[in-house]
Amino acid sequence: MTSIFSQIITVVMMNIRSLPRRFWMSLAATLAIAVVVAVLLSFLSMSNGFRKTLEGAGTEDTAIITRSGSKSELNSVLSNDVVNIITTAPGIAKDANDRPIYSAELYVVVDGIKRTTNTKVNIPMRGISQTGFDLRKNVKITEGRMFEPGKNEIIAGASIQREFSGFELGNRVKFGKTTWTVVGIFSTGGSAFESELWADARVLQSQFRRGNSFQTVRVLLSEPGNIDGLLKAVEDDPRLMLDIQTEADFFKEQGEALGGMVKLGWILSIVMSLGALAGALNTMYISVTEREQEIATLRAIGFSNISAFFGTLVESLVLSLLGGIIGTVAAYLFMDGLTTSTLGGNFTQVAFTFEMSSDLLMNGIILALIIGLVGGFFPAWRAARLPVVLAFRGGA
Amino acid sequence: MSDLYLVYKNLTRKKLRFFLTLFAIFIAFLIYGALTAFDTALNAGVELSADNRLVTVNKINFTQPLPISYVRKVETIKGIAAVVPLNWFGGYYKDPQQQVLTFAVDPPKLMAVYGDDLAIDEDHYKNWLKNQQGILVGKSVADMYGWKVGDRIPLNSNIFSKRDGSTSWEFDVEGIYTGKRPQADTNGVYIHYKYFNETQSFGGNYIGWMGIKTTDPALNEQVIKTLDEMFVNTPFETETVPEKAFNKSFIAQLGNIGLIISSVVFAAFFIILVIVGFSMALAIRERTGEIGVMKTLGFPSQRIFKMVLMESFMLTFLGGSIGLLVATLFLGFLNEAPQFPIADLILTKGIILQAVGVMIVLSLITGIIPAVNALKLNIVTALSRR
Amino acid sequence: MTGGKLYDLRGVSKSFTKGKEKITIFNDLNMSISEGDFLAIMGPSGSGKTTLLNLLGGVDKPTGGEIWFDDSRVDNLSESQLAKWRANNIGFIFQFYNLMPMLNAERNVELPLLLTKLSAKERKKNVAAAMELVGLSDRAKHMTSEMSGGQQQRVAIARAIVSDPKLILCDEPTGDLDRKTADEILSMLQLLNREFGKTIVMVTHDPSAANYAKRVLHLDKGEFVEKDLVA
Repeated sequence: MTSIFSQIITVVMMNIRSLPRRFWMSLAATLAIAVVVAVLLSFLSMSNGFRKTLEGAGTEDTAIITRSGSKSELNSVLSNDVVNIITTAPGIAKDANDRPIYSAELYVVVDGIKRTTNTKVNIPMRGISQTGFDLRKNVKITEGRMFEPGKNEIIAGASIQREFSGFELGNRVKFGKTTWTVVGIFSTGGSAFESELWADARVLQSQFRRGNSFQTVRVLLSEPGNIDGLLKAVEDDPRLMLDIQTEADFFKEQGEALGGMVKLGWILSIVMSLGALAGALNTMYISVTEREQEIATLRAIGFSNISAFFGTLVESLVLSLLGGIIGTVAAYLFMDGLTTSTLGGNFTQVAFTFEMSSDLLMNGIILALIIGLVGGFFPAWRAARLPVVLAFRGGA
Repeated sequence: MSDLYLVYKNLTRKKLRFFLTLFAIFIAFLIYGALTAFDTALNAGVELSADNRLVTVNKINFTQPLPISYVRKVETIKGIAAVVPLNWFGGYYKDPQQQVLTFAVDPPKLMAVYGDDLAIDEDHYKNWLKNQQGILVGKSVADMYGWKVGDRIPLNSNIFSKRDGSTSWEFDVEGIYTGKRPQADTNGVYIHYKYFNETQSFGGNYIGWMGIKTTDPALNEQVIKTLDEMFVNTPFETETVPEKAFNKSFIAQLGNIGLIISSVVFAAFFIILVIVGFSMALAIRERTGEIGVMKTLGFPSQRIFKMVLMESFMLTFLGGSIGLLVATLFLGFLNEAPQFPIADLILTKGIILQAVGVMIVLSLITGIIPAVNALKLNIVTALSRR
Repeated sequence: MTGGKLYDLRGVSKSFTKGKEKITIFNDLNMSISEGDFLAIMGPSGSGKTTLLNLLGGVDKPTGGEIWFDDSRVDNLSESQLAKWRANNIGFIFQFYNLMPMLNAERNVELPLLLTKLSAKERKKNVAAAMELVGLSDRAKHMTSEMSGGQQQRVAIARAIVSDPKLILCDEPTGDLDRKTADEILSMLQLLNREFGKTIVMVTHDPSAANYAKRVLHLDKGEFVEKDLVA
């Protein structure tokens, strides 16, 4: 066994040392693999970043109530009556005065300008209250101040500042006949809420002629994750046609919106892998052809065909690993932290950051190694079966 | 025997290498064809938009409503041929996941503005006018759910509810429209605005936006100015833009899809560029002696230069054409498949022409260095290297 | 047997620089070859016989002197004029045959005819005649890689004569062959010289090969050692 092992080591080292002779073809295969890996990782980091941004917005402590079948906050409508009924349901945490802790919210869409393309895009404007503000995880005002109830004042999320123009601190914006002032900037630790404008719900109701209706209600749960009391209330009361979800589940669902991108990324990179595989096979067959004499000579002096097989396979794996590493490093350098925005489930822009993770990087390396394995196997098979007699033929 | 035969024989002499390189090219053009067709379909709305049509939306954002009364006011503006009010219904069929792009419209006005694009049977159209619960269904939607003229189908709304509180409406399929051009998107469904407005429970008399047809594209600018000024300082200020601009900004909301697609296509072409480029260079280097012999026999250097270039052209065009062909088959298959709610994916003439352009560039890049090497190859050194 | 002057080399010199060193192969070489001659050029390695053959074949140019062929000067022709001249006047036979591995025997023979204006039909006729002459009519469709060395060299001869050139240049035509096969090839060359009037110049280091020639020149260090043989 040791002898076979040391034979393999010897042959592998010989092959690797002869790599410079095949520099250009080896480079071609390596680059092709690097590009495939970079493409895959770009797609994966995009959807990963999007998912994390939305999942980061949800918490198990809060439940979100929407009109049945509305699917998104934008489409939902809840009358004041419904809000009053559902917030008496069991399972909602109470404040010091034994009143349920909830936030009835409005969600309207206004125009903003996307900085990168300078085009008009949909920006969500949420009507909330101080309670609603406090219900958010990691929320804080980073600049300026909170809006004053009853006034046409807006606080804008940090992502809004970064990705869209028109809502800088101190800016005045006109919606219809009314003018609003941006008085503060808030952060929620990078979650989807940072792509929103917040204002006083009551003001929004009157300025956008919503009467006293709302769109969604968020309630603080007395027991995190437990929405049974609310579900039962809906079931028992035929007037309540509502969907109830924990906020975590709600945003998790919305985070799947770019799930198609993951699929597309995999499909594209697998198809491209086939192209890169053709390159790898080409390179390795050339390598075997070039070393025919050398392989046969080694076999003639007693090396096993197993060593010839592994010698070639390892060469291929080394090249593909190299390609995989170049691809991941390139994707990491160019993609990680890239910010952009797209339409989310509410038909409004969600700003997010491409986010690499060690899991994703491993995906890239594994894809590279699979290409190397397949691309090396068949040429290695040929190397192992080369007739020894080749060694005795003249090298004319 | 001709030079072409020689080129072909040279190209195919190493079967495996030929096949692998061809395959790499095939893959790249398959990706190119499929993604570009997708991008084109996505932008079909922009490409097919008419110069004499405008869209008027609420200035705050196009999801904000406008009063229905605006329609009659706008109709009086000089230079406007027709106006149609449209309202987004938020429709879905059975499952909220199965979205149906449903619009509440005034049928005769719809035809007055968009009639040039819609092909519909005359009798079916008349029946639709008569039946308030009738709907006009795009062919893609009809195919997807197997709806036929005469079917009664339920449509739910994820926004509106009926006066009785239910969100389910029943409609009669009165007609199925097709696009007058093959790229046309037929994923829309039209219902009567009047019926919708009378049965829905929210405050009525609001519309989503207006589609406008002008008498002459040259008047667009003036019409836009007059129209928007008409409603300045009202609670519902308007913003009017040409149809093309509206469709463009709508697509732009999704993010820079064009950039993603062109990056991937570029990456795919880069891969084949290195693979094909280096194998071509290697193949010609391996044939140094033979090229020397050809030159000795009296083949002029320019002729050999041409033959090497022809070889890379033949390789690229062969792989590229197979790629485009398979892309066409694949897209045809996708178009047949249900649940694919965008316009038909077609390899348009433009895409194919562009692909041919790419093939020419790739052939030149991958072939030029080996060809120049072959051109400059000195007979004495070529023969002594053997 | 011999007619007029086919080749005339006047004061030909050939040198090149290798690094800083200047290497001179010929200096003031004079020779002429008559039409219908069968000349063998012998000499040790490095004597300049291959370079001489290259100069005669117009694949290499002298650094000095003049080369005349058929009463016109050829050493000052351009690269492309030379290519045309070679195609019209010279057939080449190499030591390792230099056939195109991707073409079958008859297509290899047809190759030089691509440089002529002959129609496909005429080309086919000429190829058949050449194959007949070298006795390979029954192997026309075979791939050359499946042939023996002797057969391959016969294909090469067919290729060299198919366009009916005046001159055939052979570079060690039997260097890769056994004695018996070599004799067959040499007889064939002799036949071409005697029966078809082809002028043949053959470089070889095989003394028995030289026996087939009408005339033998010995080259050493760029000079003919038996000057009296130079016409």
